Amino acid sequence: MTTETGTRPAWEEPPAEEAAAFGIGPGLRRLREGLDAGLELPDALARGAAALPREACEALRRAGRRIEGRYHEDEWGFDEDFAETIRPFFDFLYDRWWRVRVGGVHHVPSHGRALLVANHAGILPWDATMMTVALLREHPLPRYPRFLVLNWAFDLPWISVVLRRVGGVVASPYNALRLLEQDELVAAFPEGVKGTGKPFSERYRLQRFGRGGFVEIALRSGAPIVPVAVVGSEEIYPKIGESSLLARVTGAPFFPLTPTFPWLGPLGVVPLPSRWRIEFCEPIETGSFGPGAADDRTLVFELSERVRETIQEGVYENLVKRGPAFV
Amino acid sequence: MSGRRILITGVGSSIGCTLASALERDPGVEDVVGIDTRTPPAALERTEIVDADIRNPVISKVVPQAQVDTVVHNQIVRFPSAGMSPRAMHDINVIGTLQLLAACERSDSIRTIVIRGSAGIYGAEPHAPQFFREDLTRLFALRTRFQRDVAEIENYFQTFARRRPGITCSVLRYQPAIGPSLDTQITRYLSLPVVPTYLGFDPRLQFIHESDALGALLAAVRRPVRGAVNVAGPGTIGLVRMVRLAGKPVLPTAPPLFGAVTGAAQRAGLLSFSDDFRRLLRYGRGVDIRRLVDEVGFRPRFSTPEAVTDYLAKQQGRRLVPSLQRAVSPA
Repeated sequence: MTTETGTRPAWEEPPAEEAAAFGIGPGLRRLREGLDAGLELPDALARGAAALPREACEALRRAGRRIEGRYHEDEWGFDEDFAETIRPFFDFLYDRWWRVRVGGVHHVPSHGRALLVANHAGILPWDATMMTVALLREHPLPRYPRFLVLNWAFDLPWISVVLRRVGGVVASPYNALRLLEQDELVAAFPEGVKGTGKPFSERYRLQRFGRGGFVEIALRSGAPIVPVAVVGSEEIYPKIGESSLLARVTGAPFFPLTPTFPWLGPLGVVPLPSRWRIEFCEPIETGSFGPGAADDRTLVFELSERVRETIQEGVYENLVKRGPAFV
Repeated sequence: MSGRRILITGVGSSIGCTLASALERDPGVEDVVGIDTRTPPAALERTEIVDADIRNPVISKVVPQAQVDTVVHNQIVRFPSAGMSPRAMHDINVIGTLQLLAACERSDSIRTIVIRGSAGIYGAEPHAPQFFREDLTRLFALRTRFQRDVAEIENYFQTFARRRPGITCSVLRYQPAIGPSLDTQITRYLSLPVVPTYLGFDPRLQFIHESDALGALLAAVRRPVRGAVNVAGPGTIGLVRMVRLAGKPVLPTAPPLFGAVTGAAQRAGLLSFSDDFRRLLRYGRGVDIRRLVDEVGFRPRFSTPEAVTDYLAKQQGRRLVPSLQRAVSPA
């Protein structure tokens, strides 16, 4: 499938030489000269801006590119430029807020297709974002994983847009299969809503893995399954109850009540600063079974259970390694 | 062996007319018959034009008399234009196709029927897979009238194909076409002075360039395959990015107000927003074109983003947003 990758370098114009000179004075002078030369105001303003420091100039140029639509998105809507722009926020969460420790990153293949399968907790998909940062930071050949997001999120304004730009796709088997066929790294959370909505008392216990759809997809595409155990996301939103009435009103699959949400309004969305560990476990090869094996129910359930047990063990092990949750 | 004899409905449309003239130039084609009540936009040399309405039962005499081996059904109305009621649109699409298929049943010379259908059958859904495969028409409910019409047409066609296994029945599911010589909902939408979008939504859209729309139809006539085939340019484009490339200011509108804003545009005669188009602008839609490439053997020349930029490059309109990019890096 052709994408527009080929046209990309055309936008990267060489930085302006004039950007070296800086200060407000030269900028104003250039603005006046521009106006005298008969330029229209916006053009003249922008010309004056060329006298700003290099970084400011670069940022302006980038904003200009975005306003004109000259940026790159792939066919899924993934926008690396955008993802890089909001990266510092996730770096902060990773380093300071959740103090993430990562293990076994060498188990993630550095090229070709692979299916990351992780446990899911914490209502909002922060675990997916931290897995992404972990791979970008710790892996010798970093790449952005694509993650399957609960369908319901794509009804929501803004959230759906941001999710797509950072690599999220609707959790549909057709999407997962196509992404794997394109040799992408795909992250799936087979616990789904059951995982995000589990009560605080059962926080470390993995829910059942549906019908094992993720195994079928891995078998069909011959992608290895990399089980991932995430510890720490369980404590960020301690769910103490839910409101079926508010769930019905908002159309959400469930409406969580935590000690802070919804009582503190938007502040209640701030996750608690627990300590995290992410462990990438040894991959399970599926290529040797052949694509026909996807119809073998026994094999699918067997593999699905094996992945679940690996993750469950990983969670318990890392709980011990992590020690206390918040300090 | 004598050449093929081809009948085209909707020869008065832009693509129908270019298809006829392309087939005229094909040495393998002996005869071209065009049916339409409108006159073709360009002069055709060899094509025999029959002034008939496909909704009229008279069609059941015209088709067998023409002694054709191939029928290209190109008269499916995709969006309401000025002076056409939704009712008339439904009549042309459903009753017209029904009459045409009934007429085809009376002919014993027909070997191939190609319908230029619509990817609108899949709808536009927030939870849809990003790329619909041909077998996924039943994932979601049929929500709009056009969607139901297209589904009805395909149902009739399927039944027809079962009854007449000797005829190769092919339906091409087109994504909206875009191009400098087309006047469609999307080109009118992009030429609005201010372009309304749904606040907080940026759907992935997919188009087919007008030259590829013709190319795919020609390829399907030359090498017909049974069943449905998606037709679109590879890749997708984000709505917001497309509007920005067009140099138009975006007017993000909260969903409850969107109807009011577009209603105003409609009253001003700028364009008509069909229900399908509205849903498309909110949720978008993409299709998988592997069948088109592998089985029909047609690879679109323009990807979706290229089709959009080609269309925009050929528009004369002045850019409304001053070019910041050009200004910041002085020439």
